[in-house]
Amino acid sequence: MLQLSQTQLVPDAEAFEHPFRAGTLTVVLGRNRSGKTNLCRHIAGLACSAAGEVSLDGRVMSGLRPQSRSVAVVFQAFVNYPNWTVAENIASPMLAQGVKRKDRDIRTRQLAEVLGLEELMQRLPNELSGGQQQRLAIARAMAQRAQVLVLDEPLVNLDYKLRETLVLELRSLLQQSGTSVIYTSTDPKDAFALGDEVLLLDEHTKLQSGKPLDVYRDPQSYAAADLMSDPGVNPFITKASLVAAARKAAVRPEHVYLASAPPPGEVNEFQMDVWGLETSGDETFIHGSVEDNPWVVRCSGMAHVVPGQRLPILVRNDDIMRFGVV
Amino acid sequence: MASIQLDGLSFRYPGAEEYTLAPLSLNVPDGTAFALLGASGAGKTTLLNLLSGLLAPTSGRIFFGDDDVSYVAGRQRNVAQVFQFPVLYESLSVAENLAFPLRARKFDPLWIDERVRHIAADLAITEQLPFVAADLSLFQKQLVAIGRALVRPDVSVVLLDEPLTAVEPRMKWRLRQTLRRVQEELAVTMIYVTHDQTEALTFADQVAVMADGGLLQVGTPEQIYATPSCEFVGYFIGSPGMNFVDIERLESSLEVSVGASRVGFRPEWALLKPQGQGQLAGTVESIQLAGTDSGAATGVVRLDTAAGRVAVRGKLNVAVGDHVGIELRQHLCFSAQGDLVTAEYD
Repeated sequence: MLQLSQTQLVPDAEAFEHPFRAGTLTVVLGRNRSGKTNLCRHIAGLACSAAGEVSLDGRVMSGLRPQSRSVAVVFQAFVNYPNWTVAENIASPMLAQGVKRKDRDIRTRQLAEVLGLEELMQRLPNELSGGQQQRLAIARAMAQRAQVLVLDEPLVNLDYKLRETLVLELRSLLQQSGTSVIYTSTDPKDAFALGDEVLLLDEHTKLQSGKPLDVYRDPQSYAAADLMSDPGVNPFITKASLVAAARKAAVRPEHVYLASAPPPGEVNEFQMDVWGLETSGDETFIHGSVEDNPWVVRCSGMAHVVPGQRLPILVRNDDIMRFGVV
Repeated sequence: MASIQLDGLSFRYPGAEEYTLAPLSLNVPDGTAFALLGASGAGKTTLLNLLSGLLAPTSGRIFFGDDDVSYVAGRQRNVAQVFQFPVLYESLSVAENLAFPLRARKFDPLWIDERVRHIAADLAITEQLPFVAADLSLFQKQLVAIGRALVRPDVSVVLLDEPLTAVEPRMKWRLRQTLRRVQEELAVTMIYVTHDQTEALTFADQVAVMADGGLLQVGTPEQIYATPSCEFVGYFIGSPGMNFVDIERLESSLEVSVGASRVGFRPEWALLKPQGQGQLAGTVESIQLAGTDSGAATGVVRLDTAAGRVAVRGKLNVAVGDHVGIELRQHLCFSAQGDLVTAEYD
């Protein structure tokens, strides 16, 4: 287990504790500048503004140099040795560790196979596609056989079809490896697709952690609900009885239904003034305003709605998230 | 503004064996919002460069309205372009940036002033007019770049090459919405190049899907999504893409057309059923959560079947390793070559 104690990501931020359980994949979800990269650097022992104790299986690592920690890192701007072949790149950390040649070759082949690089062993990094280069960087990090693998937004630069397949591959690969993985992202979809656990980071501190579905179903704050939602949640700030004693309430975009397709259960009707639409074919985001708040409705398929239209929408009572109840 | 007609247009680098752009014909009516959608290397940028006059065609013709512009120099084609990153005179004010293309063409100063105000109002950047471009956010800069492309009254077509790349995700829809509104108000012919399905399907009246230097399908967003002309389009649009299985591998019969050898179905067109029901039998390989619907978990289930792997979207009331049936509520038929051979039915 990797334990963070009294961790402050920047000098004035609120300190927090967090255990990363051994063999699990934790998605660290946070917006840009919320402290994700600082957290990665802190765990790896690289220079950063974070302070606090990091221990691995009860052994304090603070003060240890990066190369003395059993932590491998792949950053968003991944690097490979440009003048070494794929095979040499994968073998490089084992070379530095003094692994015997025979073992090195076996391990290199194994990693190449799981990451789908076995056909490309003699190529140079610049002869690979973006996705292949990224997989090479991950293979190299895994070759270190570190107990902890840190992946800092590793897929952010790739186009969506490639991301789709890589996320699936990564999941089974990392599950097999038995390594503790820390994977940062800005996209709640990654938390669902990859995470055994999710750790929400906001304003350089921990908001909440737990299983992705639990965090999604039961966010402890408005900020946590908003972070675990893409697009963000729709706020209620009316005095409506729906909000009851709560100081703030919200509903997720996918929990707003068109009145033409009502959900089961007790519902409340609202009127949305539609501003615009986005569609990917399989789903549509309808942007607009409800009682002067900006709202988004996320519905499946292509909705036949036009900007300027007044759209009746429904919200189930059970889907309203209430925060700060007195 | 003008319609655009491409007649057997192709491009091949001198000495190259293969076409960078295979001969294609296309008609973009005047005032259309048109999107070119494809992965990198599909030939989108080559086509754009042919339209703007940066490249000369190997064969075929380009018409703007009734004029054959195939070999007309770029500057005489009256094409305005917007690039991935805003290209502005950083030290000039927004108003001066917008006026620049008009001053260069010696329009009447009073008219220029009026035109700049009109375009700025359309794009909701009136308040920014006095500011120096360098002081604007990336989002505002891109709006100004779009304004500069639209300001000339004599433009035949506006070409946009991945114009939202630099805009942060949560702002994209606003810029796209503005672009679309202005496109409709000014009845401009716009050609929007992107690799992103959401951008293309949201922006355009007509979408052209390209791959490997060829044109695969032209249609409305609904047509492209619901009735892809070939397997590639079905797979490329949608996340996850369309599933394809060999008809002979289906467990029970399905209504198919003559000449069909495979059926395609979108993840949301299938339902998970108890084992023994439906047209396919599968074992659950993985489950990907997406959220909840009326309290129940929903997402994508990936299954291993005798016909290969398929993805099904819906309620997640199964576990990894479960044996289930898959019912196809809707499907399309494809030939052995991967071309659509029938219309959809329920």
